[in-house]
Amino acid sequence: MIRNFFEAIGRYTLFLGMVFRKPEKWRIFWRQSVLEADKLILSSILIVSVISVFIGGVLVIQTASNMQNPLLDRMYVGYMVRESLVLEFCSTMVALILAGKMGSNIASEIGSMRISEQIDAMDMMGINSAGYLVLPKIISSVLLSPFLMLLSMALGILGGYVVVELTEIIPTAKYVSGLRYSFNGFYIFYSCFKMSLFCFFISSISAFNGYYARGGSLGVGWSSTRSIVVASILILMFDLIVTQLMLY
Amino acid sequence: MIRVEHLYKSFDGVPVLKDISVGYEAGKCNMIIGKSGSGKTVLLKNIMGLMEPDSGEVWYGDSRLSAMSYQERNSFRRNIGVLFQGSAIFDFATVLENVMFPMEFFTDWTREQKVERARFCLERVEVLNAEDKYPSELSGGMQKRVGIARAIALNPSFLFCDEPNSGLDPHTSILIDQLISELTKEYNMTTIVNTHDMNSILEIGDRISYIDEGRLLWQGSKDNLLTTDCTELQDFLRSNTLLRDRVK
Repeated sequence: MIRNFFEAIGRYTLFLGMVFRKPEKWRIFWRQSVLEADKLILSSILIVSVISVFIGGVLVIQTASNMQNPLLDRMYVGYMVRESLVLEFCSTMVALILAGKMGSNIASEIGSMRISEQIDAMDMMGINSAGYLVLPKIISSVLLSPFLMLLSMALGILGGYVVVELTEIIPTAKYVSGLRYSFNGFYIFYSCFKMSLFCFFISSISAFNGYYARGGSLGVGWSSTRSIVVASILILMFDLIVTQLMLY
Repeated sequence: MIRVEHLYKSFDGVPVLKDISVGYEAGKCNMIIGKSGSGKTVLLKNIMGLMEPDSGEVWYGDSRLSAMSYQERNSFRRNIGVLFQGSAIFDFATVLENVMFPMEFFTDWTREQKVERARFCLERVEVLNAEDKYPSELSGGMQKRVGIARAIALNPSFLFCDEPNSGLDPHTSILIDQLISELTKEYNMTTIVNTHDMNSILEIGDRISYIDEGRLLWQGSKDNLLTTDCTELQDFLRSNTLLRDRVK
């Protein structure tokens, strides 16, 4: 098992070496990157938006119900919601959601191409198939995922605002002042960095599993499942490591 | 001219190719025949460079495949056209885009020139009025034709066909065989066809290599095929009902 683990790391490193070779034609690379941005990031906007709005609302209710102490200013509900969204939910939780959506998409797409010999066909044309298929996915997801996170942040806060307005669980002015209280801009950078790192793991690990898929449609399904599991574990592990390194 | 010298290949210690030495001539349809599991596809993939042999060499004219660097091999592969068993035409592209795909990477032609060349190749393989269709909308025979059109798009010097008739009806099989034979003569390509279809072998095979359990047991022309002394080949030929009484 340990041998398999190190073998997989070695193959993954060699795979990244193939992916990060200079593209045959930059024009084709940029065109593919735009297409991948549409397929991977823009198509995720809806699911991320829906989840963010609802989680923002739920966070407000949960935080307010746990802060009933009259000595605590109700403004702290807004503050806590903002901090939860910025520090953890909008990067880690959204990344976990993307690991499922984007990861299975990438692994199954590339895996199907592998078992139907389309990747072999590309290689036999003299094209770096790993570079052509994977690099645009990595670049577009790493560069654009922070925008998805910022959108999630905004919608989460908006969701909280809507719940405050509708339920009057705390005064709206308190919620707004809590959102503005003791704001640290570095947290946004920290979250953007985490999101980009997580999306690098999601796209590269899913592509790696798809690229080396074997055994027909069963193999494609297996590679897709493995991608999600490995990416999710790495996201949680590196969440801890990055947080320790950047915030403490 | 392609030469294979003392090729050995094994998987997990199990030998699949054992000391194969064989030559393939230009302008001829060279057939690799043998039972399922005899090592035909492994031999073809070693010749194409999709697999690395344990030992032995593959020569393309004066160029040794194993001595080529990654860049040299990729450049060299532009001279190679491949028709895969399952066609391996790209799901994400239309018929026209599939044929234009290698041109996008390796030519500086204008779009009009690429379209013109792609249409010429499609007409040559008699695929008409289907250029805007996706592979899933095509029959198996049509997919093979598109695969051939893509393989000849850049005027290759070498054409490799892995089981070109698998999954096709006898009539379409004959058409595909004739197309391969005509193109071989027309472009003076070195063509290697991997098959166990006796009709193909007798129809277009100029030079035939028989492989059994990873060993090359016989090589000769189709005129000598039915009078061979090789008992394994005789058994193989007799398994075809139509040839049973014609084999020596």
